[in-house]
Amino acid sequence: MLAQSLAAGLDQFLTPLTLTLTTLGVIFGLIVGALPGLGPLMGIVLMLPFAVDMPPVAAMGFLLAIGVGGSCGGSISAILLRIPGTPLAAATLFDGYPLAQKGRAADAIGIAISASALGGLFGGLVLILAAPVLADFASNFSPPEYAMLALTGLIAIAVVSEGSLLKGLMTGCLGLLIATIGTDEFSTGFRFTFGSFEMLNGFHIVAIVVGIFAISEMAHQVQGNDLNQKSDVKIVRPGFRTLLITLRHWKNLLRSSTIGAAFGALPGVGGTISTFASYAVAKAFSKPEDGYGEGAEGGVVATESANNATVGGAMVPTMALGIPGEASSAVLIGAMLILGFFPGPALFEQRPEIVGGVFLVYLFSNISLLIVGILATPAFVWVLRLKKSYLIPIVLLLCAIGTFALQSSVFDLWVMMGFGILGLLLRNAGYPLAPLVIGVILGPLLENNLRRALLISREGYWIFLDRPVSAVLVAVNIALIAGAIYWTIRQRRERDVRATAQSEG
Amino acid sequence: MSIGKRHVEWLAVALFLAVIGLVYQQAATSMAEQGIASGGPYDNAAAYPKTIAAVLALLTAIQALLQILRARKTKAETGVPLGQLARPASLVLIFAAYLAALGIAGYHIATPIMLAALMMLCGIRRPLAIVVPAVLISLGLSYVFEAWLKIVLPGGLLHLNIAW
Repeated sequence: MLAQSLAAGLDQFLTPLTLTLTTLGVIFGLIVGALPGLGPLMGIVLMLPFAVDMPPVAAMGFLLAIGVGGSCGGSISAILLRIPGTPLAAATLFDGYPLAQKGRAADAIGIAISASALGGLFGGLVLILAAPVLADFASNFSPPEYAMLALTGLIAIAVVSEGSLLKGLMTGCLGLLIATIGTDEFSTGFRFTFGSFEMLNGFHIVAIVVGIFAISEMAHQVQGNDLNQKSDVKIVRPGFRTLLITLRHWKNLLRSSTIGAAFGALPGVGGTISTFASYAVAKAFSKPEDGYGEGAEGGVVATESANNATVGGAMVPTMALGIPGEASSAVLIGAMLILGFFPGPALFEQRPEIVGGVFLVYLFSNISLLIVGILATPAFVWVLRLKKSYLIPIVLLLCAIGTFALQSSVFDLWVMMGFGILGLLLRNAGYPLAPLVIGVILGPLLENNLRRALLISREGYWIFLDRPVSAVLVAVNIALIAGAIYWTIRQRRERDVRATAQSEG
Repeated sequence: MSIGKRHVEWLAVALFLAVIGLVYQQAATSMAEQGIASGGPYDNAAAYPKTIAAVLALLTAIQALLQILRARKTKAETGVPLGQLARPASLVLIFAAYLAALGIAGYHIATPIMLAALMMLCGIRRPLAIVVPAVLISLGLSYVFEAWLKIVLPGGLLHLNIAW
């Protein structure tokens, strides 16, 4: 199945359009990753409207490459400005910035890019090898398993999202409800449309995603006071010899990439946790003379390889099951839906050329990252000098025209704006936004399979426990919630004990 | 006068309650009138949203309870001054005005004005540093969309579109 997919995908991949767009995606990803406050998710969100009219593999190459470039770009500002462009690069600060302070900024950036590309390639191999196996296993799934799987994906994201479990579950439920707006597939009745013709098909996923993430983020950023500040960073030029420096740390590279890919494959865990975990492991394996925390090359290798390997790992459940591992994957699933295909076991059987094409563009985006990243670093460093007072209006305009372009609909713009306000409110109240988007994406999958399962069982809920895989997933869901509640209570108790000790001492 | 996270949290709870209320109201009125609020899994389109809303209601009740308990335990917080929220609120208002103006004035008139207003909001004060980028960004993006992607941007009542 794998060889067949790759062979079928080669034609889709080897086109000038796909190769160009993938390279452009890497460049755009590096830019949005380097700019603090944007990041790979925002990059994918901003370019989503552009991608929907492209051929599927080219579009996926473009969007995936933004994710790949964006995951690496954050390290540039982390190393040069001591401000991680994205949370993914937070752990790169530990050694990247001290390395730059020692006069080796170009080396630090070169190592970060090389490690990201190699980690990303490792993640790609994991994706290519694991996704078909998982898809093959899932091909026997029926509605009860799918319903429980969708629920597991949503609960896992809610459990590990920033903020409380409760708030994550609440925004997840809100997402599920938003997904019900429009025409009901089973009864063809109208739900929550309020007689509006424009709401018969529900809200466009791009309008929701752009509003929730981009508009709310921009509104949040104008609350800060340093919008006119210009960063005075010096241009650095890394060379390809940094690839050799990175390869000298091959054990660390392999270990950190494995951690990254494994964490990525677990729904909800994501890159930030994997980078900190791999840094901790690399530090534990290091010798004192390696000087972790004082500018160790190994520290940059560990965090950057892990964070890009996570992208490949996260694509495993996304491609094989249609279950997003985190917010970026959810947006990518949204893109796939708009492009006319739904990830999952059926895609592996029915459209192997798309599966193979996606695998190949993912690998190519990492090779592009290595070449373009190192050659064009001075340009990305220059971008860091952009003032937010120009960046915010540009991003907002891009959001508006991009969303309008989808259906030439001003209604979509109002939807985008409404979700922007909703996102701003939820963000300020400490609610995570990723579960909401994942709820919107998984909502139809959950509802349709839930109702089909109930039809099959003649309305008995026991069907979810009668089938082994479904029963295991029910147990996983219960364990996830119980574990998260236990963890929250324990953390709260420890915090109370510390507070009491402080007040007494 | 300031607004604390606690106030915003209550606002969010109110929003969730409104959503729950809306789901049940719609199930009892619009969906019942269409005959899709009863029957088995195939016919009953209201059962799933009602179930999710019920779960959300339970979670919202727990969240509200936690907020009440936390309010009793902790001291009053120093909130964000309302003035500090003026900028995000202004951004939303400028953007809303832009969306409203798009259909009337069209992209080419409304966009540079919106960009200029946003730049001023973000702290740029020199007229030249506002006007030139606003016009160039607006024209640049319209070129990308209209000439390359063949998207017809809103022309407004005057049907203002550039034939690139």
